Formats: sequence, C-alpha cells, structure tokens
Amino acid sequence: MAEAQEPDTGQRWRVLVVVLNSHRDFEVAREESWYRIPLSRAPTRVGADYLAFYQTSVFGEERWAVNYYAPVRRYRIVSRRILLPGEPDHPRADDLYYRIEIGSLRRLPRSIPSHRLRRITFIPTTLERLFGAEEINDLWCGTRDEEQLWRAFKESGLAAERRYPLTEGDEQRTADFALFCKNGRLAVCMESELPIRNVRVIREHPLISEYEARALGWMMLRLESRDVVEPAAACLRTIMEVAERLGGVATPPTC
Amino acid sequence: MRLGFPVKVLGQPGLKSHDTRRWQNHPHLSVSLAYLRDVFLYLDRQDIRMYRMAADLAPYVSHPDLPRFHYQIDDCATELSALGAMAKSYDLRLSFHLQLSTVLNALDEAIALQAAQLITAQAMILDGMKLGDEAVVVTHVGGAYGDRDAALERFAARCDLLPDRARRRLALENDDNRFSVADIMWVHRRTGVPLVFDYLHFQNHNPEGMLLMEALEVCLGSWPQNVRPKIHFSSPRTAMRVIDRTSSQDERREPIMRAPRPHQHADFIDPFQFMHFVRKVKTIDLPEFDFMLEAKAKDLAVLHLREHLARLAPDAMYWGSNG
Repeated sequence: MAEAQEPDTGQRWRVLVVVLNSHRDFEVAREESWYRIPLSRAPTRVGADYLAFYQTSVFGEERWAVNYYAPVRRYRIVSRRILLPGEPDHPRADDLYYRIEIGSLRRLPRSIPSHRLRRITFIPTTLERLFGAEEINDLWCGTRDEEQLWRAFKESGLAAERRYPLTEGDEQRTADFALFCKNGRLAVCMESELPIRNVRVIREHPLISEYEARALGWMMLRLESRDVVEPAAACLRTIMEVAERLGGVATPPTC
Repeated sequence: MRLGFPVKVLGQPGLKSHDTRRWQNHPHLSVSLAYLRDVFLYLDRQDIRMYRMAADLAPYVSHPDLPRFHYQIDDCATELSALGAMAKSYDLRLSFHLQLSTVLNALDEAIALQAAQLITAQAMILDGMKLGDEAVVVTHVGGAYGDRDAALERFAARCDLLPDRARRRLALENDDNRFSVADIMWVHRRTGVPLVFDYLHFQNHNPEGMLLMEALEVCLGSWPQNVRPKIHFSSPRTAMRVIDRTSSQDERREPIMRAPRPHQHADFIDPFQFMHFVRKVKTIDLPEFDFMLEAKAKDLAVLHLREHLARLAPDAMYWGSNG
C-alpha cells in the first residue's frame, strides 16, 4: 500500500495550539520531534491530530504568531525525570508530563499573528481554521451565536479579543469577548454555549459572576443566545453602547 | 442508577471519541486515549457516570494487513493505566460494543478469527485500564445463515475458544430480528456469558412471547453476583423520516418521506416510557442495574431524560429508599 502523508484540510482534524517560549523548546520540537505539557496543567482538551506552535517574544521576527504545525504521532505519559534526564534534581522531577511526539514541523502558508499583547496558552481548533485564520482570534471554535458575533466584530472593525482570561494565568475564568475601552474593560459573556437550547449542559469554563468580574476591574455584559440569533448588528449596538459608556473602544497596543 | 450513552459527544462541540485518521497518517491508540481523557472530563462535568467507548479506539488493531498496528495496546500500558485510574476516580462505568461487521459466528473462518482478535484486543484495553468486571465487551450473536441452531452453536463454540481474558469480558445482547432473549439464554446456559437485555430489541423480536419482566429477570440473573448488570434502553422513533433518493428518470436527488420503523432509535428517550418501565421493575425483586441509553441525541438524551425524571418522577432515578 502506498504511503500518503497529507490528510485533507478538513474541519474534522483537531489541532491544539501550544506555546513555544524558548529556543530550546523550538529545537526540541524541530530536531527531537516532541513537545511537553505537565499533566497538572493540561487544558480541558489535550487530544489533537496536530499541534500548532505559538511563538512568544523571544523569537524575533517570528514572535507573537503561529507559524508552524506538525502532525501528532503519539502521546506518552512520563515523569519529568525521564523527559529531561539532564535535570534529575529538579524539584518537579517526579511530576508527570504528556510527551507529545510529532512529525516534522511544517510552515503555515501564512503566519497567524496575535495583534494584542496577550498571554496565549492553549487553543483547541481545527486544521480548517488553522489554514484559514487571519489572526489568533479566528482560531477559537465557538457556538453558532459566538461565531456570528465574532464576524460582526470583524466586519465592523472593532478590536475585540476572544476567550480572554479575566485574571492573569487563570484560563478557567475567561470572557467570551473582551473589549478594551479608554476608561475601562468590557467582558462580553454568552449565557449559553449549547448546541440545542433547552437541554442544560454545563459549560466547559464556568461563567464568572458579575460581582466577581467587577472586583477584577471588568464591566460585564451578558448576552442570551437568543439575543444573538436576532441580527448580530443589534447585539453589536448593545455592546457598543456599553463600550461608549467606558469611553469607546481603544486602539490595541499592537506589537 | 447510572445512565450512559454511546461514543459520540454532542453536548460539547469538538470533542472527538477516538483517533479517526486513516492508516496512512499514523493513527495511534495513545491519541485516542488523549481524546478519551477530554471526554472523561466532560462526562464528570455533566455528572454522567457511564460511557461506551468507540469500537475503533485502537486503530486497525486486528486488521490482517496492517500488523504494525497490532502492538499499540501493549505499547500504551502507562497511558491506559492512567486513564483507567481517572475513570475509577470518576466512578465511570465503561464498555465496548462490537460493530455489526464483527461477527464471531461467521461462516468464514477468517472473519470469525478477526472478530475474536478484536474482542481480545478490547478486553486487553479494559484490562490495561485495570477496570472491574462490570466493564464488558458487548456483542450480538451475529448471522443466522439459514440455520439458526447451527449459528447459535457456532457462536458458543467460538466463544469457548476465546482466550480467558476475552471470554471474561464478553457479554451478549438480544437483537431485533434474529436472536431473541430466549436464544441468548441458550448461549448463556452453554457458555456462561452474561446477557445484556435490550428493551427495544425485545419489543421488536420476541417470537417466544416472553413477558417483559421475565425476559429482563433472566438477563439480569445471568450476571455474576458481584457484578452490576446493565441493560440497553431506547425509545422507538416516531418522527417522519426524510430520505434523499436519486430519481431513476433524471437522476436528480429528491427528498422522499418515509414513516419510521419500530426498530429505529428515537432522538431522545420517552420519559413516560422510561418511568413506566422503572416503576414496573421496582415492583419486583431484581438486582440493581445500569442503563445504556441508545438515543440519537447521545449525551443530550441522558441530560434531557434526567431533567424530566427530576421533575416528573424523582423516585425513578434511584434504586431503593436511599438510591
């Protein structure tokens, strides 16, 4: 049987975007063909057909963007001691890691930049989106309503961020959309992320309370799914009204 | 009681049940296990404690032309053990169900051998996860091939030939047009294989005219004393079916309407039918058991039924006085 390496660029192929924040990790991915994730900090979705790599500020011209991807070959669970034998006395030497073995790194046809200086950790997405994304926010896969609203943001030229952590390092408490206004920050949260509307499914990431959001310095706007099913433009107007009260949306501090 | 569902998760878009890549693209059991870990997190979040894993979890594991895939179960001992521990910590009851193409009683020896290999592989996965005896590999008898008695005998004989580890995990389900509860009872008496009662199949194929509770009781009684039995439950589809049919005249595709067939699964479980069944079960002295719900809406059907039971019949959700 003939070997055929390339699958179709389809929606069914899962991609996990992970972070490379050192040249050493990049070399490990490129030369030794693996990437590591501590089990204790693994995201709610770790399974993927491909890994894609977001490169942080240390990567010069390639920084703050996803430039490479690679097919996943194998997941192993190993201790840090086995993963990094050169560091046997590391305080977390016995901690368990996913060692994700990958095929060779491939360059994306176009890089996917992050326009705002934000912390990226893991983004579960699809190969179709990876190849179609113009910027990092295009990678997130939301419900139909969320996607509709994201398109409305893009069409109106509004600089919104998707799945934005409300506190540094807390991926569990995120806003579905974040807008940075001149006099404050606006978190837009969808009340529902269900494929059907009248079966109660618990959210992957729990909704933060309005009180909690306020305490963290965010103005919270909650949208019912049915609000978005109505023309997204009307929904966008509501968001803009709140944003205006916060001085209007500010230009993001791009890199 | 546990309520479970098979394989595909619908409540959270994007969760895959297993590595679906074709052999050319190097699928691996460990990738399936990573997907399964994500599914387990979802199940725990929704408080769903029963789940049927994908039959193709280990890709090409018994494919005769692809021997390089035959060793992945041994190769994944650590990952299987870790996932099994996770399932245990979530009190998750797991199982497999062989696909209809896997026929242990096939006339063709090669097909039967491949079925035996697949049953063994799935048993090895359950063993590798260190799961208890309630984690089973469910199958049907298979084909009748014009001689039902010989087909049953062949199933029993092939069952006897399975390795101990595979035989210990195997469970047999009544089907909806060939082998009834009475038929699988015969296999049980002959082999000791526990029986999975399928409610809808029983309603569709019961030529012996057994009573519902009688059939349920013999199936539940076929399980070892220390193992909690399970049954399959589904409601018949009642909605109209729309089928795309190609016109023979001009080869255009056109939708045609078809009335539902009684063996087809409904999208959801009829809560009244379920309540009625459970209340009837509770009137007689039967061992407690779990429900695998076979509905097209999968996990959404579990959540939907639970919501209705909580409102309409909270008593139906628990066994005994304290659940």
